Amino acid sequence: MNLTDEQLVAGYLAGDEMALEILIKRYLRPIYSFTFRFVGDSQETEDITQEVFVKVWRNLKKFDKNKKFKTWIFTIAKNTCLDWQKKKKTLPLFFAETIRDPSPILNEPLDRILERLSPKYRMVLFLRYNDHFTFREIAESLGESIDTIKTRHRRGIAILKKLLKAK
Amino acid sequence: MRQDFEKLFSHLKPAEPPAGLFDRIILAIKREQELRHTKRLVFGFAGLLVISFIAIPFSWTMLVNQIEGSGISYFVSTAVSDFGTFFLLWQDFSLAILESLPLTGMIAFAVSLGITVFTLRLFLYRKRLLLNYLISYEYR
Repeated sequence: MNLTDEQLVAGYLAGDEMALEILIKRYLRPIYSFTFRFVGDSQETEDITQEVFVKVWRNLKKFDKNKKFKTWIFTIAKNTCLDWQKKKKTLPLFFAETIRDPSPILNEPLDRILERLSPKYRMVLFLRYNDHFTFREIAESLGESIDTIKTRHRRGIAILKKLLKAK
Repeated sequence: MRQDFEKLFSHLKPAEPPAGLFDRIILAIKREQELRHTKRLVFGFAGLLVISFIAIPFSWTMLVNQIEGSGISYFVSTAVSDFGTFFLLWQDFSLAILESLPLTGMIAFAVSLGITVFTLRLFLYRKRLLLNYLISYEYR
């Protein structure tokens, strides 16, 4: 039986320990992948992913049942990543405006090309096409307006097309 | 267009979580659960300790005052000094002693004593857990 996230949350709060394990298994890979895109280091990603799930468990009672669990957990993941970046006192990759590596992109694999996208565009595109989020879900997860997300998506696509043509 | 991009992104090698990460997360949550439980226990213990420290002297003073005011000591001393009379009138004596018992003071003292005993029992039963929590708290 395939229970929804919200049903699993309700189940856990009613005393079903397994429900939490199912939720963690369901979101482990997407959250790990999201965090990895943010952090870029596998050891740090592991620690942050663990922290995200512990925070989820800690705040599960406060979860608003009228909201989507998916956007809620991604919001926690984003905030945990931002906290980590604040601790590191480095410029958040996600908000960096410039393309990091201006070297030629010919004959490079796709992930290297995507790395050339500004991280804020890359994040939107990843969430949209890799994690299959709707614009509303992306906006809620990243704490931005839908219009901002749509603009980032449009610009990101335009840049990506240019990069792919150049390839 | 969406499908094209989804296809494009599907070519990417996704970041795979390492094999032991799920177990690590479960363990971390279990540890947090234990910590939360211990925290509750410590706060409960501290609360009870404070209550019993305040309640014991108060209830003791109350009991002593009530005993002094009730005149029960006179009945008891008469009964002890003049055992013959007490034996003759034991029913009246017993009734008089029962009537003059400082019930409120006795109940208050018994309750506060009960709380103290329970607190001590809680400490002895969970002393390792409580001490570990308090020691580790200093290093946090």
